[in-house]
Amino acid sequence: MVALSAFALWQTAELPVGTLRHFGPGMLPRALVALVGVSGLLIATGGMLRHGEGIGRVSLRGMVFVLGGAVAFGLSVQPLGLVVAGPLVMLIVSAASAEQRWLDSLIFAALLSLFCLALFRFGLSQPIPVAPWLIGY
Amino acid sequence: MGDFIANLGLGFTTALSLSNLALCFTGCLIGTLVGVLPGIGPIATIAMLLPLTFKLDPTGALIMLAGIYYGAQYGGSTTAILANIPGEATSVVTTLDGHQMARNGRAGIALGIAALGSFFAGTVATMVIAALGVPLTQVALLFGPAEYAALMALGLTFSVVLARGSILKSLAMVFVGLLLSTIGADLETGQARLTLGLESLSDGVKFVVLAMGLFGFAEILRNLAQPESRDMINAPIGKLLPSWSELRQSFPAILRGTGLGAALGILPGNGAVLAPFASYALEKKVAADPTRFGKGAIEGVAGPESANNAGAQTAFIPLLTLGIPPNAVMALMVGAMTIHGIIPGPQVMTKRPDLFWGMIASMWIGNLMLLIINLPLIGLWVRLLKVPYRLMFPAIMLFCCIGVYSVNNSPGDVLMTAAFGLFGFGLFKLGFEPAPLVLAFVLGKLLEEKLRQALVLSRGSFTTFVEKPIAAGLLLIALVVLLVAIAPAVRRGREQAFKE
Repeated sequence: MVALSAFALWQTAELPVGTLRHFGPGMLPRALVALVGVSGLLIATGGMLRHGEGIGRVSLRGMVFVLGGAVAFGLSVQPLGLVVAGPLVMLIVSAASAEQRWLDSLIFAALLSLFCLALFRFGLSQPIPVAPWLIGY
Repeated sequence: MGDFIANLGLGFTTALSLSNLALCFTGCLIGTLVGVLPGIGPIATIAMLLPLTFKLDPTGALIMLAGIYYGAQYGGSTTAILANIPGEATSVVTTLDGHQMARNGRAGIALGIAALGSFFAGTVATMVIAALGVPLTQVALLFGPAEYAALMALGLTFSVVLARGSILKSLAMVFVGLLLSTIGADLETGQARLTLGLESLSDGVKFVVLAMGLFGFAEILRNLAQPESRDMINAPIGKLLPSWSELRQSFPAILRGTGLGAALGILPGNGAVLAPFASYALEKKVAADPTRFGKGAIEGVAGPESANNAGAQTAFIPLLTLGIPPNAVMALMVGAMTIHGIIPGPQVMTKRPDLFWGMIASMWIGNLMLLIINLPLIGLWVRLLKVPYRLMFPAIMLFCCIGVYSVNNSPGDVLMTAAFGLFGFGLFKLGFEPAPLVLAFVLGKLLEEKLRQALVLSRGSFTTFVEKPIAAGLLLIALVVLLVAIAPAVRRGREQAFKE
């Protein structure tokens, strides 16, 4: 765990330095990258010298499903519309919790999607695609 | 004085219009709702509801958003007292004595004194804003680019010092935030920087995307990673109104909390978060019998609750007078104002006095509404607290996704938010505080602009920051604050303050 935490800290230290590739005019980004790098290195050495408590168990399940749900929404909302993307995101995200009851989730997803549809599309006339493949908008 | 009354008069006529009253009420209600529900903060809510305000007029939109913000401060205390979980970051301290009071069968009184204290603090804070608004705006008009840059540096220093955890880590967060803000087209030449060749990054990272990722998505991940323990009180809530002697006991605490909160809230760099902690420590120090604290002392609820409300409101001062947001919620307010074509800063008061004073008056009205709606509605909030998180978080995710999407109708934004969610969760795991990052991100563009202007005016010489007395003074304060925070004695005290 100590090694894991140190390694992760080291990663964050190196990450911003990696984005140095592309800076354009102005010295601010360059100066900032240097500052980020230096502070990152300081933290990393600190992390390696001291024995940290480790970062604990990372629940992959939550991460995959919650972020996966958001990605699914982003990919599906324009081609398929809110009618599909709404329940989709809720069902995928629901899977993140182990104690989920599926029937509940299904009903809840359908109802809430309808509610959002009414609120955002018709109540506030936001230009969110509803179901382009079915009704054309 | 005459001006003061005339200004407030204008404010109240604006705020008392039927539509603005309705918006204020809606804002307060939504704010209390998110404040009560753990796992969804005011930042995510305001970001989510930002699209809802596109169609409103700017005054109404800001009145509603402000209502959400201080409503959340109110609602957070309900959760803290009844379920022993802070609904908001600022109500952490309330769990200590508030929940103990609830266990002793005095839940109603704890809630009542929290509401009364908050109302009193809100009233005083509103007056402070109204009184300080005009002189501070005049000061702000004297500020040139060098002074602005120095002031922002001071704000960022405060955000580092006031953040929890290691100072070095917070400092690193500020640098990362500033770096993120430089992504996108260069201010003067329009050349793309740090975009990794991605088209969608050419406008820079959008604030809603960053805030929703770091505070919305990451929060959900965090809550899922830590199985929640709700220590719900099943005992009856009991009577709400404190007795005369209880009132007399807590009134000095309310007074001190309000003063502390109002003063800390003005500090750039989110002093409001510190206010309840400071107030609790103070109450413990002045109490005749400090051992009562942690066992249900009424002053331990009254003081911090007043402090957090006062701080939440005076945080508007830097935003409204200087155009500099002191914390992430205020940064979202900047976003909302810009969407409506208003540039925050000293010119708001002269160009849109109705907006400025209307918003201030609406805060007082909102506080009154909160007092009136919250106490009778406590039963409803309690029932809401029983909604299991497994049903809540998919709903929050759906709202977040729609919210992010509809700001720009861009599906790419949703994907980027997910990436920031992952980043935010990583930061949490590694013990980094996201608040300084977000503040640095918000101030970054403005800071770069002012820095460059100042350097152009001084022909590239950094001595301009030392020669101008105001700029030099501000930078000196920033330096002293940072040094003091690093000093070992204060460091120990600071750790202790956060532990309590």
